[in-house]
Amino acid sequence: MTPEIQSVYDGLERHGYIADPSIATAVFLSREMKKPLLVEGDAGGGKTELAKVLARLVDTELIRLQCYEGLDVNTAVYEWNYPRQILRARLAEHEGRSASEVEDLIFSRSYLLERPLLRAITRRESPAVLLIDEIDRADEGFEAFLLEVLSDFQVTIPELGTIHAEHVPYVVLTSNRSREIGDALRRRCLYLYIEHPTLEKEVRIIRAKVPGASERLASEVGRFLQALRKRHLAKTPGVAETIDWAQALVRLHHDRLDRDVVVETLGCILKDQQDVEAVGRSDIDALVASAETGGTRA
Amino acid sequence: MTNDLVVHLARFGGALRARGVDVGVGDEMDAARALALVGLADREEVRRALRIAFKIRIRDWSAFDELFDRVWSASPRTDIARHRAAAMRTSGGGAPLNVSRAVEERETETRSMRGKDSVIGYSPDAVLRRKPFDECSDADLAAMERLLARMARTLATCRSRRLVPSRRRGVVDLRRSLRRAIDTGGELVSLAYRARATETPRLVVLCDTSGSMDRHARFLLAFVVALRRIARNTEVFVFNTSLTRVTPAIASGRIARTLQRLASGVPDWSAGTKIGESLSEFVSRHLDRFVTHKSIVIVVSDGLDRGDTTLVADAMRAIRSRARRVIWLNPLAGDPRYEPTARAMAAARPFIDRLLPAHDLASLEQVLPNLS
Repeated sequence: MTPEIQSVYDGLERHGYIADPSIATAVFLSREMKKPLLVEGDAGGGKTELAKVLARLVDTELIRLQCYEGLDVNTAVYEWNYPRQILRARLAEHEGRSASEVEDLIFSRSYLLERPLLRAITRRESPAVLLIDEIDRADEGFEAFLLEVLSDFQVTIPELGTIHAEHVPYVVLTSNRSREIGDALRRRCLYLYIEHPTLEKEVRIIRAKVPGASERLASEVGRFLQALRKRHLAKTPGVAETIDWAQALVRLHHDRLDRDVVVETLGCILKDQQDVEAVGRSDIDALVASAETGGTRA
Repeated sequence: MTNDLVVHLARFGGALRARGVDVGVGDEMDAARALALVGLADREEVRRALRIAFKIRIRDWSAFDELFDRVWSASPRTDIARHRAAAMRTSGGGAPLNVSRAVEERETETRSMRGKDSVIGYSPDAVLRRKPFDECSDADLAAMERLLARMARTLATCRSRRLVPSRRRGVVDLRRSLRRAIDTGGELVSLAYRARATETPRLVVLCDTSGSMDRHARFLLAFVVALRRIARNTEVFVFNTSLTRVTPAIASGRIARTLQRLASGVPDWSAGTKIGESLSEFVSRHLDRFVTHKSIVIVVSDGLDRGDTTLVADAMRAIRSRARRVIWLNPLAGDPRYEPTARAMAAARPFIDRLLPAHDLASLEQVLPNLS
């Protein structure tokens, strides 16, 4: 690995994020090339966490915009402070000001409420990390709007004019791929797909995130998950589920996996009734066996 | 960066495009910038950086890796000749369908689709509505087109969560209200409103055209073509032994002509069927792009297939987990004694929201309320 990429890799790990070479390369390139990073992957794979850790790594503020269907400019960029505006307009009326004077007065910066996107580009101190989470949930129209913000890093407010970025923020966009992100937006970014972790990486994640887990438990849980992901499941468990499960097992004082323990705690990793039924009792035996013997059978 | 490397990169981009991986000039420039930042001696690092900078989607990873392995040795400079050969090889692969040429054929016939009366059910239409598709003649098809077009127009629309300006409905739009209030000295005399936008549903239709479906397929496709006039986002695929996207072929025009074009453009029209393989192909190649949480997926098939049913189940599970609703139209289901016992049908059943009959026009009418 190039020393600069290695240092990103180590830095992420220092802040509790076990990366892999692809993730470190993507973060490094995104910083150097000053391009937003679009991160896709299955749920619970550590996409959002990556942005949070990045903010700690470069020691700056994390500004988060959670997307949802119907998200509009008022929530994402700015909104006028209507109650204050109304009060001021009433006051101005008594002062006998003209309509155009009132307009200039109440549509000024001090009546503006900054929402995440505007806040991210007006931050004075240093570039922020802007996390645009689950962009696939927003409408395609919002995606087009975002494109404009991310290419010029400026926001135009009709009443005020154009506001330019003080610093270009580090931008991380995440998507669960519930719909395909448009080509135009993808082209504007660098693209990282986070896969399910390898066994080695998963065990390191468990060890880092669940300090109470023994070496043995961590590797058994890791191997169990690796084998489980090869099954046809409606919701394949991600790293988030692995961590939950390991934590639960530690709290229940289990130091190794056996059939009863797995049956009891299966809800931590399988969150779909069909999956629980599909992974029947006999299959659990096979999975436990493969976790114990070192994962040669799966 | 050396010129050789830039040339090599451009050729690599060309090879990707030839394989159907969508990369543009901007992506090539990003890739060039990325390569200047990473260690060129480390082949895996080059691979990772290119994958990130070219923005390769996961469905294209195998194609990317294959081309990368073929054309990107540790020292790119010596490799250009080999690379050129590879690009030549890949561009020849996959015979294009002749449907696209069919689209270019001019439709000169006038449209006869604009019936004025909006009530369905008068004689002789009433007879036509109950006439099973397998007893219909070609002459009936023309009459049915008219009925189908009228039916499709009743297709309801669904509401988006996005808010758009509205006259007297929805929630108060403070921003616009306040703009008005300025003229009245800050007094909110009249309020402006915003309401949820309406959207036509997004339909994705997968139609079986194999031998056992032959008598029904043309009428069902006629229905689909009619729907598409209303719900313009509708995507249409047909399958028998393999899957073909026919959306581009369904241009506006007479339904019979469109069907003819389809039949000539699709391999193995009315041959045997491989439902599992076809649905799997849809999942791996098209699901991400065409199906969102707003989509309604409609499978049109009798489910008669002797192939591997686990393929059917896996594909239907994948579709179900992504789409808003999954509807299966089965011409056999019109028979009151029908039970979904055909093996493929039984495998798919747990992942279907509505299993509906589709043997005559009247049954198709019952489908419409399920499409919004």
